[in-house]
Amino acid sequence: MKPAPFDYVAPTSIDEALSALADAGGGATILAGGQTLMPLLNLRMSQPFIIIDINRIAELKGVTRASGGTRVGPVTRQADALADATLAQHVPVMVEALSHVGHYQTRNRGTVGGSVSLGEPAAEMPATAVALGATIEIRSSKGTRQVPADEFYLGPYMTVLEPDELVTGIIYPDWADGHVTLFREVAQRPGDFALVGMVGALELSGGTVSRSGIAWLGMGPTPIKARQAEAALLGKSLDAIDPLAIAELAVADTAPFDDHHASSEYRRTVGRRIFTRTLREALGLKEAA
Amino acid sequence: MNVQLPGAHRYIGERTPRKEDARLLTGRGQFADDVRLAGMLHIAFARSPVARGTITAIDSAAAREVPGVHAIYTQADFSGVALNVMNFFFGPCEAPVTILADGRVSCVGDPVAMVIADSRAIAEDAAALIEIEIDEEDPVITLADARGGAPVHPGKDDNIAQEMGDEDIDEDLQALLDGAAHTITRTIHHQRIAQSPMETRGCVATCDGSEEMTIWISCQSPHLVARYVSLAFNLPETAIRVIAKDVGGGFGLKNFPWREEVAVIAAARLFGRPIKWIEDRFESLTASSHAREQEVTLTIGFDADGKMVGGFGDYSSNNGAFPMGEDCNVAVHMFMWPAYKMPAYGFVSRGWYSNTMGLGGYRGPWAMESLIRETLLDDAAREIGIDPIEIRRKNLIYLTDQPNTTTFGIEVTDITPGECFDKLLANFDVPAFRKEQAESREQGRYLGLGLAAYVEPTAAAGQMAPMTGELATIRIEPTGKVTASLSTHSQGHGTATTMAQVIAERLGVNFEDVTIFEGDSAIGGFSPGAAGSRQAVIAGGAAWTATDMLADKVKEIAAHLYNANAETITIEGGMVHIEGTPEMSHSLREIAEIAYGEPARLPGNTGAGLEAQFRYQPPPFTFTSAAHACVVEVDADTGFVKIQRWISSEDCGTVINPGVVEGQIAGGLAQAIGQVLLEDMPYDARGNPLAATFKDYLMPTISDVPDFEYVHANTPSQTIGGMRGVGEGGAIIGPPTLVNAIADALQPFGQIDLLELPLTPSRILDIVESRDVSGDAAKRAKTEAEAPAEEATAEVASSSGETSIDGAWNMTMKTPAGPQEMVGHFATDGGNVTGKFTSDQGDQEFEGTVEGSRVKFNLDVEQPMKITLKYDLLFEGDGVSGKAKMGMFGSAKTSGTRA
Repeated sequence: MKPAPFDYVAPTSIDEALSALADAGGGATILAGGQTLMPLLNLRMSQPFIIIDINRIAELKGVTRASGGTRVGPVTRQADALADATLAQHVPVMVEALSHVGHYQTRNRGTVGGSVSLGEPAAEMPATAVALGATIEIRSSKGTRQVPADEFYLGPYMTVLEPDELVTGIIYPDWADGHVTLFREVAQRPGDFALVGMVGALELSGGTVSRSGIAWLGMGPTPIKARQAEAALLGKSLDAIDPLAIAELAVADTAPFDDHHASSEYRRTVGRRIFTRTLREALGLKEAA
Repeated sequence: MNVQLPGAHRYIGERTPRKEDARLLTGRGQFADDVRLAGMLHIAFARSPVARGTITAIDSAAAREVPGVHAIYTQADFSGVALNVMNFFFGPCEAPVTILADGRVSCVGDPVAMVIADSRAIAEDAAALIEIEIDEEDPVITLADARGGAPVHPGKDDNIAQEMGDEDIDEDLQALLDGAAHTITRTIHHQRIAQSPMETRGCVATCDGSEEMTIWISCQSPHLVARYVSLAFNLPETAIRVIAKDVGGGFGLKNFPWREEVAVIAAARLFGRPIKWIEDRFESLTASSHAREQEVTLTIGFDADGKMVGGFGDYSSNNGAFPMGEDCNVAVHMFMWPAYKMPAYGFVSRGWYSNTMGLGGYRGPWAMESLIRETLLDDAAREIGIDPIEIRRKNLIYLTDQPNTTTFGIEVTDITPGECFDKLLANFDVPAFRKEQAESREQGRYLGLGLAAYVEPTAAAGQMAPMTGELATIRIEPTGKVTASLSTHSQGHGTATTMAQVIAERLGVNFEDVTIFEGDSAIGGFSPGAAGSRQAVIAGGAAWTATDMLADKVKEIAAHLYNANAETITIEGGMVHIEGTPEMSHSLREIAEIAYGEPARLPGNTGAGLEAQFRYQPPPFTFTSAAHACVVEVDADTGFVKIQRWISSEDCGTVINPGVVEGQIAGGLAQAIGQVLLEDMPYDARGNPLAATFKDYLMPTISDVPDFEYVHANTPSQTIGGMRGVGEGGAIIGPPTLVNAIADALQPFGQIDLLELPLTPSRILDIVESRDVSGDAAKRAKTEAEAPAEEATAEVASSSGETSIDGAWNMTMKTPAGPQEMVGHFATDGGNVTGKFTSDQGDQEFEGTVEGSRVKFNLDVEQPMKITLKYDLLFEGDGVSGKAKMGMFGSAKTSGTRA
């Protein structure tokens, strides 16, 4: 280890952590699983004055049922969440997406909250939270606020979190039993952030779409909610859904970028394709002749 | 050659588990960072954040105040140190290299200052406080920039770092190409590679007193480092010991110490305490010498049957600002054709300076020859309308075609590329694949088959300063156990195992009783270590013969002691047997105890002890042949490539350990897969490297590399033991095999006209969709629009004005070895000219012809090699310009003014 000098505290309660955050006056960084933070510290891309290690705070761990949803403590290890029966039952697409986060080894340490709050636009957890309409519970010594996931992300690695705030829970709202899940991403290697990907859920009632939540990963500076596509799906009967037309609407909401891994045109082209294919497969729609 | 003693245990050819694995797999290896010395201090470098400019100020005041900082050095602090940063050949670098920036910065990451502190973290704290003011200039980044841009190194005319060959196609070759039934031209742009060894560079240096030094360094040969340091610091009297027990990958990057490592050694000498520097991954990606960035255009003419009639290659490589030796990579052209029947070939090759990190050697540095040749052959087969198998069979060299000499004068007598290719096809059912491919296409699945063949020059020795033979010193200790001190070095090469296999078999002892010592310049003797696919061949031959010499000594002693005929004595399992008298068997230990403890009992002319030493000098080159096949599936929706199958059919002669051979091939193929599909170190227009972590620099992982299948052929070479090297082949043959498979899969959609690597999913969709998905075409159009107008060529029309040729002229000839100054004296007489060149090499006389103001003559020179220089000079006014053709090495620009 060769990070810039920092102070270190390891509180055992949320209140202690919040008061440490308040005392730090903006110079603190939260250490959860450390899968991103530790390399950044060593490379000095991150140089906090104080590191607040929240790994010893029991109340930040675990999965519980909350009213109308499932609450995940931010320090829940990704591996534990993957094996969690409650999540598997109530938030299946989150579990599916989680299996693409990092690698088998890193998921033993990496946390759900770390992945959600880092704000990498091509990561799976932020887009999943946005798609499903999750609520991010945020606390500071001044109080608690609930932020809808699609208002949480401001830009690459930028969120609405104030320097004295801590994510204390991610609440995934319940989707009706048997809801349709959507997930597909393309990444150059397993475990990489996606070049482009999509995640979402649909509720059907009486053969028509009664609720829709879909978001893109890797298609802009934040996870992008596919609002036009969501709206277009609502109230549609299955036989009236044109997956390609919906995908076109979904792509219209994006703002992908060029980098040396993929061009923006690639992201749009393949995004449209995987969106179409995923929707078609999930709804059992036949391919247009 | 591998004669077996009856009943002797075979070790050569066995898949013996490696002796070193227990240590390495349990975390007990000793790498540079494992070295901790009392009083040791740590270094961090402050590096340039800009690509090009003049340093106007360096303010270290704040940094010096950081507690725990001992010293901060800039280049000025080394002004009193005589220090010569050399290239791999122990020669000078064309653009002089200082360990820290000397007044100018020439690339992002250029080391400007070094901090010596109690810990690396403190050193980095202080390095961040050093204020470097730079008067920034517009950088030259790409090959296109370098061609027209302002010289990277002040005082140079242009950005040509090294040039060989002739861009003008020879008339005879042109006639062959003009007469060809098919002429195919292809271009490849190969991306920049970050070498990325698992263990980054690292060095710990300590001065023991004023003269002696001990250096632990992650390197490819402790002996070479010791020699380099001795020469670089001009310390012939100094005892320099270099230790590198375990090394996590070298690939060419660690052939010799470069700026940072030399700086650590210099700092240890200046500051007088042990100093450690371990490169972090950010430095490794952005500031370790890079590799590969290169462009090549190859034209080949074929007759109507698909036989090659001639070719011309134009190659450029981006050398960066301070390459580890300027290099135009002439080996690309030299090694393009030994495996093939190519009657005529011309080339031009240039290395270009740019404001990027310098270039270093990387596994198969000349690999572009196979990539451009094998991909072009596939394109040619399609255009001519024959099978890629057929075009290779028509042109490949088989044993029956040999001896054969290439246009470069390389004679091959025992290579088997054709035989490897046939053996490959015997193990792969091509018709069945073609059927499956056709059926799959019906279902929208796109399979492709890639084939490629090549030869790999290995075990180079005797023609370049560092490329020597290898030494083996083998001893039966008084305990009867065997120890060997070798000049070998392993970065995972398994020499501690393979050499023990050779020794155990040749001596007749148990493998477990042989210990190899290496990895320390105090052990063995000079060799470049793991460089140039050489150790199994040369060190294997040295161990082979030294062991035989030792066995002979044991037999001679046993014959004397036990009153037997030496011919009747065999050694097996560590026991010495006399034919027909099993009761007379003795252990090696018994004989060793006598040899050491009671030498009076030995035969008269036998010295005490039991040891033998042999330095093996092999033939200049030993070629290894191979052919590979690879099957891929390309997802036409996403542009993703899945490798389904990969077969290697190689002939590396005597195989000492198939596991080690296959490990070498697999490692090279993994690198090939990385180069074709994943790895890329791009720079932005300001010269910032864009892949600074492994998040952006994509190394192939276990899920990207398939299980390879291996077919071995074993045509012994002409070396002792018959081994052939196999270290670089996978990285050479892998890229064309994979590219050809992808191109085959993409046939329903179109051709890859310009191959740009890596073949990212975006670029594959360019072909699938016949449009510019990747944005490359738009980028190229933009580059072309912005390119500076080509420098008007100084084409001097045959002058009509009267020019007096007679007299003395001060002339300069630009040779690959640097500019050569001379005075030319000319005397014309009608259509004839006589004269001489005078230089510090002495006088050379010539006779030739005059046509107007154009003078032509030939000059035979002996140094540095026997060659006829063909001069063609045009005199105009008080100036003269032209060139001298240097046979296969191209031509040297020659110019001058009247004296």
